[in-house]
Amino acid sequence: MSMEKKRPQLSLDELHQLKWLLGGALTLLAVSTVFYMDIEAWALMALTIVTTLACMLWPTLPARVPPLVHVLAFPLIVAFFVGDLWLTASPLPAMVRLDMLLLLYRGVSYRQRRDDLQVIVLGLFLIVVAGVLTVSLVFAAQLLVYTGCALAFLLAVTLVSSAEGAASESGKVKNVAPAWAVHADGGRLARRLREVADWRLVVLGSALFAGVVVVSALLFLAIPRFQLENSLFLDRFMAKKSKTGFNDSIKFGDVTDIQQDTSVALSVDVTDRTQFPVSPYWRMLVLDQYDNGTFRLSPVLRRSAFGTERTDTVVHGEARPRLGAAVTWTFYLESGVSRYLPLLGSFEVLRFREPQNFRLGALVNVLALRDEPLTMSAYRVEGFELSASLPDPTFPAAARRREHNIHTGLSVSAEDHAKLDRLTNEITAGAQPGAAEFAQRAIAWLRQNHSYSMSPTLPPGAGDPLVRWAASREAGHCEFFAGALVLLARNAGFAARVVTGFRGGTWNGYSNSFTIRNSDAHAWTEIYDPTAGGWLRADALELPAAAQGADAKTEAALAARSDRSWSARLDSLRVFWYRRIVSFDQRSQLETLKEVKAAAQSSSRRLRDLLTASVDSLKAWLVEPWSLRRGAKFILIVGALLAAGWAVRRHSRDLWQMLVRGGAARRDDPVRADASRWLERLRATSGGPETAGEVVGELQRLRFGARATWREPEQVFHRARLAWRAARSNRRRVSRP
Amino acid sequence: MAGADTSAFRVERSAVGVPRGSADWSGPGSRGPRRRFTWNYFVWSLVWPQRSHRIVPTPAGLVLIGLAMGIGTAAYNSSSNILFITLSLLLACLILSGVLSWLNLRGVSWRLQLAPPFRAGQEAVVALELRNAKNFLPTYGLWFELAARIVADTRDHRPESTWTGRNLDVRKMLAQADAAESRGQLALRSRLDPRGEARLDWVFKPAQRGALRVELASVGSLFPFGFLKKGISTDLRAEVVVWPAPVEYRRHAFAALRRPAGGERVTRAGNGGDLLALRRYETGDSHRLIHWKASARTQTLLVRQDSAESAEGFSLWLQTDAAVWSRPEQFELLVSFCATLAEDLFRAGRLLGVAIDDEPPSPVRRVPDLEAFLDRLAVVRPAGVGGAVPSPREGSFPMRGEGTAPSLNAKQNVMTFAPEGARGVQAYVDGKKAAAT
Repeated sequence: MSMEKKRPQLSLDELHQLKWLLGGALTLLAVSTVFYMDIEAWALMALTIVTTLACMLWPTLPARVPPLVHVLAFPLIVAFFVGDLWLTASPLPAMVRLDMLLLLYRGVSYRQRRDDLQVIVLGLFLIVVAGVLTVSLVFAAQLLVYTGCALAFLLAVTLVSSAEGAASESGKVKNVAPAWAVHADGGRLARRLREVADWRLVVLGSALFAGVVVVSALLFLAIPRFQLENSLFLDRFMAKKSKTGFNDSIKFGDVTDIQQDTSVALSVDVTDRTQFPVSPYWRMLVLDQYDNGTFRLSPVLRRSAFGTERTDTVVHGEARPRLGAAVTWTFYLESGVSRYLPLLGSFEVLRFREPQNFRLGALVNVLALRDEPLTMSAYRVEGFELSASLPDPTFPAAARRREHNIHTGLSVSAEDHAKLDRLTNEITAGAQPGAAEFAQRAIAWLRQNHSYSMSPTLPPGAGDPLVRWAASREAGHCEFFAGALVLLARNAGFAARVVTGFRGGTWNGYSNSFTIRNSDAHAWTEIYDPTAGGWLRADALELPAAAQGADAKTEAALAARSDRSWSARLDSLRVFWYRRIVSFDQRSQLETLKEVKAAAQSSSRRLRDLLTASVDSLKAWLVEPWSLRRGAKFILIVGALLAAGWAVRRHSRDLWQMLVRGGAARRDDPVRADASRWLERLRATSGGPETAGEVVGELQRLRFGARATWREPEQVFHRARLAWRAARSNRRRVSRP
Repeated sequence: MAGADTSAFRVERSAVGVPRGSADWSGPGSRGPRRRFTWNYFVWSLVWPQRSHRIVPTPAGLVLIGLAMGIGTAAYNSSSNILFITLSLLLACLILSGVLSWLNLRGVSWRLQLAPPFRAGQEAVVALELRNAKNFLPTYGLWFELAARIVADTRDHRPESTWTGRNLDVRKMLAQADAAESRGQLALRSRLDPRGEARLDWVFKPAQRGALRVELASVGSLFPFGFLKKGISTDLRAEVVVWPAPVEYRRHAFAALRRPAGGERVTRAGNGGDLLALRRYETGDSHRLIHWKASARTQTLLVRQDSAESAEGFSLWLQTDAAVWSRPEQFELLVSFCATLAEDLFRAGRLLGVAIDDEPPSPVRRVPDLEAFLDRLAVVRPAGVGGAVPSPREGSFPMRGEGTAPSLNAKQNVMTFAPEGARGVQAYVDGKKAAAT
């Protein structure tokens, strides 16, 4: 085979090495999904990563695998899968582990074409499963990288197949290192890749990949959506467990453990940011039963306050509809936070993206999903009642029926009772305050006697730990304060309970959303106020209104909470992902189409207006009286336009030719370069003999003409040299006096 | 006698073997008349393959399609946008695959170059020249399906109906047709650089003599990702004549060879040192044979014709009577034997003239004369089968009226052929056994 112009090209061995490396990279990318998939496969992942990396670095290693391994591999893997499935009874994790085992095996054996395709499919399975299970932004990045690698890998596979032709790898012995593996050298391959790479191909490849991303985004927007009734969720094939302490019972330290985690727990979009409370409390769970340091949701309250389980996408709350457009709050609750949904208060309507199994505790304002969501859960709430108290008109009657005596019960010893009585007397000073008054006094007393600490110490001794802490002057965290306040209130005769959830958060200035992190986890108290007919929020750790600035409503408060750090930028990406991708549905599709239409219309309108205004101003300028200055200006502008047009006409083709044909080839041509130099010299020496014109023509032919039309370059240069000397001597003679 | 070694015998170019359309490039990059751009055509070309293009999914492509369908079903079933994203990406990759495949083939053109002579049973080379007219995009991974088959003479064929063709074994006939066809695949194993050219050689052995048609059946590619096999059927073809296969024969000493009297020279052209005549220059003549003096005098380029050193010469007369050569394989042996003898005698400078059936004899003075005879031998068929039945006059060589023709009848030494048994062929000179296969 003969080539007119030869550029360096990867040999077959180098293509094999590149293919091997890309296959390993795909395996590593796919296996790394276990990092955020929450599946017990860490050992397998570590083994696969180490083995694959070793085989990538030393491609001869697979040849050392005993042939017996290849014989037994398939039966062993199948047996492992069956045993795994039988022991764990969780199909999806077992399939993930099976997938990883297959990838591990493919990583330690020389692959043929069908094995390469297996690697791609197995890796894609892992990535898609991880994406579906986590709905994480990492999935998007990982899928993009994986797609790029997979396309490059497939390209390498195709090139190898085409270069090998009939001499394919089929039938090769697996425990003999092929030649490409024996001669593999990463550094040399990198150098060869750099030599072979053409910047125009790299740019084109990048542009094409960007085109793939754009086209896939357009397809994503354009694919028609409709809801099927019998949904299939991968998470059904997994055994579920909660990662957090937001469960039905909380021991001391549970909330504090959550606070150690600074990852995002919740992102909230609101249609009217002025409605945002200065100090938002995101209620999740109400705990009314106390026993020896543990608060829990009592069976009585669970039975009486929560309705029956329903499956629906819409939940109607207790709040009454109000006039005007309702403010819509969109919540993006990260997976593993809780099955109790954070809420700001009672609401009118709550909508899920897809049907959910839930139980609504309307009176306690708690919404519990049946299962712990393993993926991000999005829901939209309209008509929040943002108040520090939660109305509960049924509580007095229920209390009379002794249904809610648990709210007032104290399961402590007589000795602890005596301690609590003493403390209560200190707080009330013998008076009989109302619930609100008592709450204020108790909070003041607690703040006076205890300081805040994330690492509290319980005073030693017998009896109830919370009573011991309350009676001491030790520092404590929110759970101590909230629990002690409940005990003190109940001891004083008020119904009280602990509420867990989040408090505060930060305003993300990039995404214009509210971000609540796990470190914002909080516990506080609610005391029933008979006069108000509802539950008052009492937070011993809440800043006093004066300290917050009572008039610092909404905008200023949000500005104070505004976060513009780098992590906020990442969080904004996450919110964008949730808003535009994960929560994209038929409604969003219609909204997007409307937005696109509106944007197109407004753009065309603006463009039309701009053109009209420009034409009008030009007309007005032209009809103004002409002066010398205006005329010169006009000529200057027209001249500049003509010059620009000429320059474009003159050089655009050359630029384009240089771009597409490679400027280097023409620049490096020594004949053209010499011709260019001689043309410059002859141009500098004017007044040459008559033959100079002929020589210039020949030189121009060498400089710009097709190679086929060239005459002998050396002769042309010789004549050019003679013409140049003649011109130079002529000029000297003329200049001599 | 050993078989005729024809490999050393170089023939520049067969007159009949010029491939039809060999100078024409075809393919997407050929500069043929371009279709006028219309939006209607453009849109349809995006969704529907062109007439000569065929796209077939490969196993990998089937896996991808199955994967896309599975993910699509799961996406609709679960309303999971993650799955919709994956589905969109898979579909976008398919679109990218189509775009890259189009870019890969764009600007590529090809043509067939045949290098006669082709001989039955000997390796022949068909060159496929490739050209990439793109400015900076190389082309990868093309393959070319080539086929070569003898163009059958259908004069003696008659159309069959379901009634008349009832006893025909169609499968056997199809198998014979397949066997008579040589197929090959050429792969572009390395990169075809932008503005570069490449040449791929297909080596095959023509099974039999005759007019051979070499076709570029299709051009295929799996580029870039191997999902789809794209094939472009082409109508590029070239025809070349395959000369009969050389055969081994044994020579008999025969006493009846008429020798001219001592010193007598036969007036025929040869490689001797004496000037026989002058004639006009013809293409292919060596420049060393030009007679400059005579050319200058006559203002016409004239070349020398030397007399042969040896006076013994033979003339070949091939009689193809179908009644005599009733066995096809024996007839093929006859033709091969005749061709081999012609080449051997010409190389030895002892071939005077040739004739087939009742045609007038043609003198063989130069290589083109011999090539013309071999070309005719390549396509000769038993007389009386689908053609005009000659009236051979056994033992007498047909006369030629032209003045330049040698007076063969006077000298005789005419070599004729007759069957020897059921398989063999015997050559006779003036009725005496001269050689046999």
